[in-house]
Amino acid sequence: MSGRIAVLVFPGTNSEDETVRLLRDCGGDAELVHWSEAQHLAEYDAFVLSGGFAYEDRVRAGAIAAHDRMMDHVVAAAAKGKPVFGICNGAQILLEAGLVPGTGPTRKPTAAFTKNAPEPHFVCRHVHLKLAVEPSRSAITAALPPGTLVPAWAAHVEGRLAATQEHLDEIVAGDHLAFVYAHPDGRVDAAAIPNGSALGCAGLVNRAGNVLAIMPHPERDGWNFNHLERREGNDALAPSGGASIFRSFVQAVA
Amino acid sequence: MVSSGLSGTSNVALRDDELQRIVEHLGREPSKVELHAFDAQWSEHCSYKSSRHHLKRLPTSGGRVVLGPGEDAGILHLGVHDGERYAIVVAHESHNHPSQVVPFEGAATGIGGIVRDVLCMGAEVVGVADPLRFGTVDDLDSHQASVALGVVDGIGAYGNAIGVPNIAGDVYFDCGFDENALVNVVALGVVKENDIIHSYVPKGADGWSIVLVGKATDPSGFGGASFSSLTLNAEDAELNKGAVQVPDPFLKNVLMRASYRVFALLRGLKITAAFKDLGAGGIMGCSAEITAQGGYGAEIDLDRVNVAVDGMTPEVVAVGETQERLLWVLPPEIVPEVLRIYNEVFTLPEVAYNARATVIGHVTERRRYVMRHRGAVVMDVHSEFLTGGIRDELPYTEVIHHGVAREELPAVDVERLFPQILAHRDVCSREPLYRRYDGVVRGATVLVRGRADAGVLAPIPGSRLGVALAVAGNPRYGRIDPGYAAEHAVLEAMRRVVAVGAKPIGLTDCLNFGNPRKPDQYGEFVAAVEGLARAGTALDLPFASGNVSFYNETPSGSAIPPSPIVACVGAVEDVVKIVSPGFRAPGSALLWIGSRELVVGGSVLAELLGVEGSLPKLSFSAERAAVAIVHDALARGVLRSCRAIRDGGMLTAVARLAFDAMLSGRTIGAEIDFGNPLCEAGGFVCEVSDESGIDLTGALRIGETTDRSELVVNAVRFEIAKLFDIWSRPLAELYP
Repeated sequence: MSGRIAVLVFPGTNSEDETVRLLRDCGGDAELVHWSEAQHLAEYDAFVLSGGFAYEDRVRAGAIAAHDRMMDHVVAAAAKGKPVFGICNGAQILLEAGLVPGTGPTRKPTAAFTKNAPEPHFVCRHVHLKLAVEPSRSAITAALPPGTLVPAWAAHVEGRLAATQEHLDEIVAGDHLAFVYAHPDGRVDAAAIPNGSALGCAGLVNRAGNVLAIMPHPERDGWNFNHLERREGNDALAPSGGASIFRSFVQAVA
Repeated sequence: MVSSGLSGTSNVALRDDELQRIVEHLGREPSKVELHAFDAQWSEHCSYKSSRHHLKRLPTSGGRVVLGPGEDAGILHLGVHDGERYAIVVAHESHNHPSQVVPFEGAATGIGGIVRDVLCMGAEVVGVADPLRFGTVDDLDSHQASVALGVVDGIGAYGNAIGVPNIAGDVYFDCGFDENALVNVVALGVVKENDIIHSYVPKGADGWSIVLVGKATDPSGFGGASFSSLTLNAEDAELNKGAVQVPDPFLKNVLMRASYRVFALLRGLKITAAFKDLGAGGIMGCSAEITAQGGYGAEIDLDRVNVAVDGMTPEVVAVGETQERLLWVLPPEIVPEVLRIYNEVFTLPEVAYNARATVIGHVTERRRYVMRHRGAVVMDVHSEFLTGGIRDELPYTEVIHHGVAREELPAVDVERLFPQILAHRDVCSREPLYRRYDGVVRGATVLVRGRADAGVLAPIPGSRLGVALAVAGNPRYGRIDPGYAAEHAVLEAMRRVVAVGAKPIGLTDCLNFGNPRKPDQYGEFVAAVEGLARAGTALDLPFASGNVSFYNETPSGSAIPPSPIVACVGAVEDVVKIVSPGFRAPGSALLWIGSRELVVGGSVLAELLGVEGSLPKLSFSAERAAVAIVHDALARGVLRSCRAIRDGGMLTAVARLAFDAMLSGRTIGAEIDFGNPLCEAGGFVCEVSDESGIDLTGALRIGETTDRSELVVNAVRFEIAKLFDIWSRPLAELYP
């Protein structure tokens, strides 16, 4: 009996359909919940915030959405230990809401995903996320092998982790650095980072491990047809590649 | 009584004879609203008055065509999934003039407009492409460079925000576009053939509600249609900026999703409605056409239009081209639910200032198009006269085929020239440009832009069906011979789709030319249409939709190189069977399949050598045979990789196959032995595991793949990594 997963749609979200589809293909009971239906969020057991440009990325990506009514439910659910998973714009919203790394008060962010560097442009690039914590550190990564690589697409203007040195130290010391950018062979260096992100950060987790925020999109590399050269089996429609982290999330919800 | 507006003719593009016709028809002088309405409807942009009769020569039916040109987009049958027939909706347009004046906004609204054209057919929008032609950008501080940068950022900002991947496109840099950049845009959508929504009201629509949806009407984009039908003049630059619309991709994102919800509502209730994009001519143009084409008239109350500012004159509200608006014609009983979806579920009024869905009028049996403003009738004309027949039979000079005497091929120093070719602005990697575009949103991308000759999507959730898209149109060819250039554009777009393993099913065209009132420039257009018609007919490839952009000339009278730009749509039965990028294995035979006439005309090589020559000769039967060979090799499982030969010649195609292998982590090189490997004659380079079954009358063995990281060409050695470096860098200066 698996729990019900809500995929949140803010005005400006643009990746909700493929996110729901991959969750379902990985065995999840997922559906879209729209910003004007926020009251229904109380009925769900887990939450996914998908990619896009919620509220047009005004002020800073995620800053306005972090104050949307839907986030009241997410903040409350996160405090109860329910799984919350943010991807790209969803990750930006979780940082702006202060849920990850979660080292400060709610809605007082201690770190942000902000303008890429050195070039402050949108970048669309295939990347690999490398699991940089013990899998059991987060319920959402618990079913992944240690050090696993998750293929994904970086596609953002504001994906560079920025924080004061003190808060960066906190992230490291508190074991919040869940994922770093890596080459396909697992090597980690500056060339693997598409956006100048501090600590090579591609993903952060909160203290309790139930809230995970990642910048790149595994759902855009989540089926065999997205990567025919690396396909597993001959069914174009089978989930593979980036689907690994979705499977792990679905297990955390079950 | 409608009062005269003739004192306001100074800022309209209508000619005196056209004005005279209007006065005669109405039996009175037109009002100001009517004057601007005719100005928009009878502009070249809306009426195709000097192109339509020529465009009739294009093949537009048969084969996979579900809906040919005539509505906002064309439709091609893709395949059957789960017992349902699915189709691809395709539209192709230019946004040249606005992009030249205000590059970012002009290009962004180009994407915005083409996406609405596809959306309003009841389709989900699944991909876009952007054929671009820029001026010389050697000086990064030049206006040309700022146009090239602004356009790309505008296209990216819009497409990325609405969540539609950019999967194909091309770009050329040529001094012929220094003062008239070309920004063409293509959009693809997916629809079940039973769920197509038309851009005209169905039978029995008398009394139906006319519902305007989207952004609050503002004074932006007033006079856009007639502005696009004039030659750009530097002194008018500031004035023209007001004719460019303001993009709002954030609102569009919500508008698209809300419209998808309305589609589902109408499907569920089996209601046939009409839906149309507001483009040229604004509320007037859209509501007049959507009703007139169904044989009806309309009454519009301008006071019911949601506006952004008070006090706008009725003509601005009526014909202004504010972006992000669409128009429904619906049976009245369903209107409350449609308004609820847009205004309450998707909260349009909260998403953008005073955005909403609102009833602005109704359909009338009487075929008059009537507009009221503050109780007074400000427009009352016969619908047909407004939207129907206007035609300009303009004189043109026939283009003489430039028969260059068969030139002797210069001895080609491959060692010196090949690196120069790879670094050439029209050959080098486009990645610095398209990495600013989201190519993978929607999670349906099978082949991203740049990794193969065409982009490929698996656009239907749960289905193995794929769609491929590629564009082509070489301005160097256009300059030599517009008719041949048009044929080559069709062939190249088709070859690119074939090279990924798709079956070409249809074309679209955007014809970018100079001034139709100059017989020589008009003659170039006519020659190009004839070329497109010859190629489409000979290859059984119909044109599903298209667009014409005239007046791409400077005040000094110089026009752009004739630019017929073509997009080709391909169908894939099971995406798992497409041709993956790059060499697969050492020891494969490399074949050149298809035409290989060794002339240099229009090639990058000719430019580097400073020589002139004829264009490669065309044989459509040989082209068809070449496509059959590629498809057959793919079906028999012997085709390992494939590239179409285009700018930069055969050796560039070979190098790209080696680069793609390298990017996939495979070290595979090639040894090539062939007279002039830099010719751009056309055809395909194919890597095959077994050549025994291939009809060698249409193929030539040019070499084989190796397990070394080098290309050896007629005994000259190149290191692949070095070539890759040379090829990948040049555009990074312009697009850091």
